[in-house]
Amino acid sequence: MLHRLESLESCNYNGMDVAVLERQAARLKWQQQNYVVQNNNLVELCASSMPQFQGLIGSNIGSGQMVQLKRPEVFLGSGDFQEFVNFPVAGAEFGDSEKLDLVPPEAAADYCISRTSSCQMTALNTSVMKEEREDMVLEKMESTTGSGRESFNKRKPEAVADHKGKNKRIKGEGESEVKTKCSTEISRNSSKENSKASEVQKLDYIHVRARRGQATDSHSLAERARREKISMKMKCLQDLVPGCNKITGKAGMLDEIINYVQSLQRQVEFLSMKIAALNSSVQFNVENLPMKEFPAYVANFPAAAKLPAMAGLPYFQLNPLQKESVNCMLNESILPAQTATEGIASASVSISEQSLSSSSMTQLQPFSTWNMDPQGSSSNLTVIFHSSSIVRVEYIRIWHLIRYTPDTDTS
Amino acid sequence: MNTSKPPTMDLQNLNPSSLKSRFATRFLRALTKINAQKPISPSSPTEIFQRYRRIKVAADKSMAYSVRSRRTWSRATLWRLRTRSPRSRLATLARRSSVKTRTTTVVDKTSHGKENKEERGAGLGVEEEELRELVPGGEAMDLCNLLDETAHYIKCLTTQVQVMRTIANLYSLD
Repeated sequence: MLHRLESLESCNYNGMDVAVLERQAARLKWQQQNYVVQNNNLVELCASSMPQFQGLIGSNIGSGQMVQLKRPEVFLGSGDFQEFVNFPVAGAEFGDSEKLDLVPPEAAADYCISRTSSCQMTALNTSVMKEEREDMVLEKMESTTGSGRESFNKRKPEAVADHKGKNKRIKGEGESEVKTKCSTEISRNSSKENSKASEVQKLDYIHVRARRGQATDSHSLAERARREKISMKMKCLQDLVPGCNKITGKAGMLDEIINYVQSLQRQVEFLSMKIAALNSSVQFNVENLPMKEFPAYVANFPAAAKLPAMAGLPYFQLNPLQKESVNCMLNESILPAQTATEGIASASVSISEQSLSSSSMTQLQPFSTWNMDPQGSSSNLTVIFHSSSIVRVEYIRIWHLIRYTPDTDTS
Repeated sequence: MNTSKPPTMDLQNLNPSSLKSRFATRFLRALTKINAQKPISPSSPTEIFQRYRRIKVAADKSMAYSVRSRRTWSRATLWRLRTRSPRSRLATLARRSSVKTRTTTVVDKTSHGKENKEERGAGLGVEEEELRELVPGGEAMDLCNLLDETAHYIKCLTTQVQVMRTIANLYSLD
């Protein structure tokens, strides 16, 4: 079979065939092309090279060959694409071509070009699709590939298209050299492609398993549209979550998102704990505050700025009781050591004795330290406590500071 | 209260109806209420712990109120805060476990055919479930809406963290 196909290629084709192949190859690289334009081109091709290929096809031996040869001819386009919904669509990869509308025909056309590039399929002819006999396709595919379900899935769209084309020989036979090339490649690399493509396209082909005879168009369309939406949203989330640029794939992204949300929630807990602890020691005079301006002030306060006043300033003071309570809170909250956030650092740092007036000042490098280290490498906070009093808090790594630098003034 | 002004302060550019200002206003109001209720004297660890819980609840509630009911997660948070009794953590845990079981049934019911199951079987499901647990109200949403809610939730959480950090810094300066 391989030999026959190769011989077909080497047949005395028209000189235009090379041009045809080149044009088709060029077309494959277009991702945003107008579907109609593609269709028109294909129709031209078909029309031009029709007569000569007809003979070739007629001379083929065996229905198996016919099926394979017919494969691309289905992809002549002049009809609308609506029925050709079984083409596999890779969710994640497809989403890379962001400008694509969610119009299934274009999407399917472009997608199947990119995914099944070995076959160089382009557009479909709907009318061809309508007369499909699935049984033969199934037989053919399984016999030719012989590698089971996955390869069947891989070839199903092609087979489907094939099969329809089989009944409509008059329609563009112009694609036959494409078909032959396609089929040679497929038969040559069948096992390799199967194993590779099936793994890669495992997710994509899931919806293709629906039988073609059923009215699965709306389902498949909806499924494809859904996948595209999901991939678009994953991209938006990628922008929101810092440090996700290198990560590809849904699972990794979701992991990052989950970690980020968890760290944000923990930060909220710690900040509330800190405010609670601070509240108890600091008089918060409501009357002195201009309540209208204060929210504005608070809201405009750049989160990661170092307060210049902090440099010489202290520490806030907790008495030992409060220190215990903070420790309790530390234990209460969820604190895996490896995901220490700023909050943990600040809470651990901000413990000192209350009565420091007489003794030497303990220098806490609290907020400035943990505030100002967004791009630094993982830093350890050391806290120097007053000698007479306090429990030394051990180091905590703040590597999340690197990863999760908060935005300033996001509104 | 604060003698030192921060380096940048743009009162004119502040949008009074932005999420940040809405949240800041509400949260500060809640804080003053909390401070008014309890004596501010240094107290036992349990009292501080209680105060911490109250402040956390106030933070979540004010953020949810700032978002109103436009988002599923805010509605879920508000509902959770309203119906949850302050002392029954066991009840919360029980509810969470029941919600988890309900989640799986809901998700199974909403799956349209084989595709979803296989997708979930491909490993996407584990992270999805975790995300659903994290985002309030995420149990009964499909993946598409869940990602939307997550994006908005992340945005609101970052705002919350910023404002609270600022408040804490301001406190510490006194």
